[in-house]
Amino acid sequence: MEILGNLALGLSVAVGWQNLLYCFIGCFLGTLVGVLPGIGPVATVAMLLPFTFGLGPAPALIMLAGIYYGAQYGGSTTAILVNLPGESSAVVTTLDGHQMAKKGRAGPALGIAAIGSFIAGCVSTLLIALWAPPLAEVALKFSPAEYFSLMLFGLIAAIVLARGSLLKALAMVCVGVLLGLVGSDVNSGAIRFGLGIPELGDGIGFVVVAMAFFGLADVITNLERKEAETTYTDTIGSVLPTWHDFKTSWWSIVRGTSLGSVLGLLPGGGALLASFASYMLEKKVAKKPSYFGEGDIRGVAGPESANNAGAQTSFIPMLTLGIPSNPTMALMIGAMMIQGIAPGPQVMTERPELFWGLVASMWVGNLMLLVLNLPLVGLWVRLLKVPYRLLFPSIFVFCCIGVYSVDGKIFDVYALAVLTAVGYVLLKLDCEPAPLILGFVLGPMMEENLRRALMISHGDASVLITRPISATFLIASLVLLMILAAPTLRAKREEALQG
Amino acid sequence: MRIRSPRDFWAGLAFIAIAAAFIGLASGYRYGTAQRMGPGFFPIYVAGFLGLLGVVITLRSFVLTGPGIDSFGFRELLVTLLAVVLFGLALKYFGLVAAIVALVIVGALADREARAIETILLAIGLAAFSVGIFVYVLGLALPVWPEGLADMVKGMLK
Repeated sequence: MEILGNLALGLSVAVGWQNLLYCFIGCFLGTLVGVLPGIGPVATVAMLLPFTFGLGPAPALIMLAGIYYGAQYGGSTTAILVNLPGESSAVVTTLDGHQMAKKGRAGPALGIAAIGSFIAGCVSTLLIALWAPPLAEVALKFSPAEYFSLMLFGLIAAIVLARGSLLKALAMVCVGVLLGLVGSDVNSGAIRFGLGIPELGDGIGFVVVAMAFFGLADVITNLERKEAETTYTDTIGSVLPTWHDFKTSWWSIVRGTSLGSVLGLLPGGGALLASFASYMLEKKVAKKPSYFGEGDIRGVAGPESANNAGAQTSFIPMLTLGIPSNPTMALMIGAMMIQGIAPGPQVMTERPELFWGLVASMWVGNLMLLVLNLPLVGLWVRLLKVPYRLLFPSIFVFCCIGVYSVDGKIFDVYALAVLTAVGYVLLKLDCEPAPLILGFVLGPMMEENLRRALMISHGDASVLITRPISATFLIASLVLLMILAAPTLRAKREEALQG
Repeated sequence: MRIRSPRDFWAGLAFIAIAAAFIGLASGYRYGTAQRMGPGFFPIYVAGFLGLLGVVITLRSFVLTGPGIDSFGFRELLVTLLAVVLFGLALKYFGLVAAIVALVIVGALADREARAIETILLAIGLAAFSVGIFVYVLGLALPVWPEGLADMVKGMLK
């Protein structure tokens, strides 16, 4: 079995003491920052990025992946205990999780979230190992035309599944693409949009964009808001769910895992869509009596498994196609580029130890989270009480150091200030930053692939529709857009994404 | 004509402005042909599409009703920007420790509830932590102290 050999290779990389240590540090730091109220996974990964700069590619990616699911898990803890979702994918968890906490069942809620996430993590790691190689093989046969259409499809699907106005999201993608094009043109060497500033010749760093839009602009909006009264739950009790809890939630975990694994593959899918969809599914299939919204454990088990499964399988398009399906994956791609690895199907064949090491470390990381979180829950609870006035200056420090240390350019710090202002204004105008960051990462790749496609076809743009796979992606994009233009479906989408 | 959705109206205008700026700059670059795309080719199309979207979003704001724009937190925004810029300046001339202290102390003022002693302690703590982790443990190339000052101290020790 080839897959067993691959996983064995991966495990041999992942359980080396060094990588094990980085995986642990990643999970620990990710949870630590993710637990802090008001900091979502994207901001967590962005802020902790500088911790990986001194490492080699494999440990850096392993640590980042650890940070990501640590942050995801930390967010659920906050959602259950304080009713403050760190990011949108944890919103669902607040519904029943916090109700359980109010009824003195915070422990079992946290426990089932951890166990569900672990089961989902194991299954989705296997799925990555199974699905990624064939997908990469197909992707290796893609010509530039297919790549261009695939990226276009990815961007459009990501918008459709995001929340907020579709037109504004499309516009934000364009802004992202344009910002991504700043700097020297790979082909001609001409500096574009440099405004006469020499530092802009290298382009705008993606860490700068991520920190500005997901870090600082967010902090400023948080500061404006009057601090809401939060109810802390001090009594956690035993984190072990009872046998009855386990029996009730077992099938929810199974359903959540399957749903999440599939939805995670979609561009724009990942954790958010998975958790919402799972909650709706649980409500539909639950036999009476059900207490959804009043502390039903199935309302925690399903979505928590789903969001972890979705978070994991969203690595598949990132690792095999080099296409980010959500902002966190865009950050991972950026991190790979900083490490000098071009993301895409060739990573698996050229750097098998890196690829399989990362996959195996996901499983190890999930195990660590389970072992780490159940006993450490008391520590996380104490962290919840750190007041925001101490937290936000620390965010400033990590953002600034992070931005500077990517390239050691002071200019990047000033660029951070400028982009923060832009991001803040756009937030005020209801323009989501997620489409922008996807456009920023994909824009230059799309231009390059379009250029190559048109060069091969001697300038004939019809190559995009005469090649069947490319045409399929383009038609799919068009269909998605048309579906959205239909008012009834739009209302449905809004309803679904509002939860 | 009345603006019914201020957020859309201003967002649309902002997109139009961004598109115009990029088209303006990109029109100075070689356009090339489809077979040999010049540096101006792709940006012109993207910026053109952005401008089109901007126009639609703006026009739509006269028809669709949407919420008004929340007031801007000028204090929070400006103090944050100032703190970040100060960090950059201080890092260049005085090193990381001074930069972090400046960033934390000025940045903390973005919150009206900032407390003096607490903030100073936080600044010292974060500076110590950052130097320890980023410079010593991770070995990132960050100037810790002002170069000149460091030389002076070295001279005095000799």
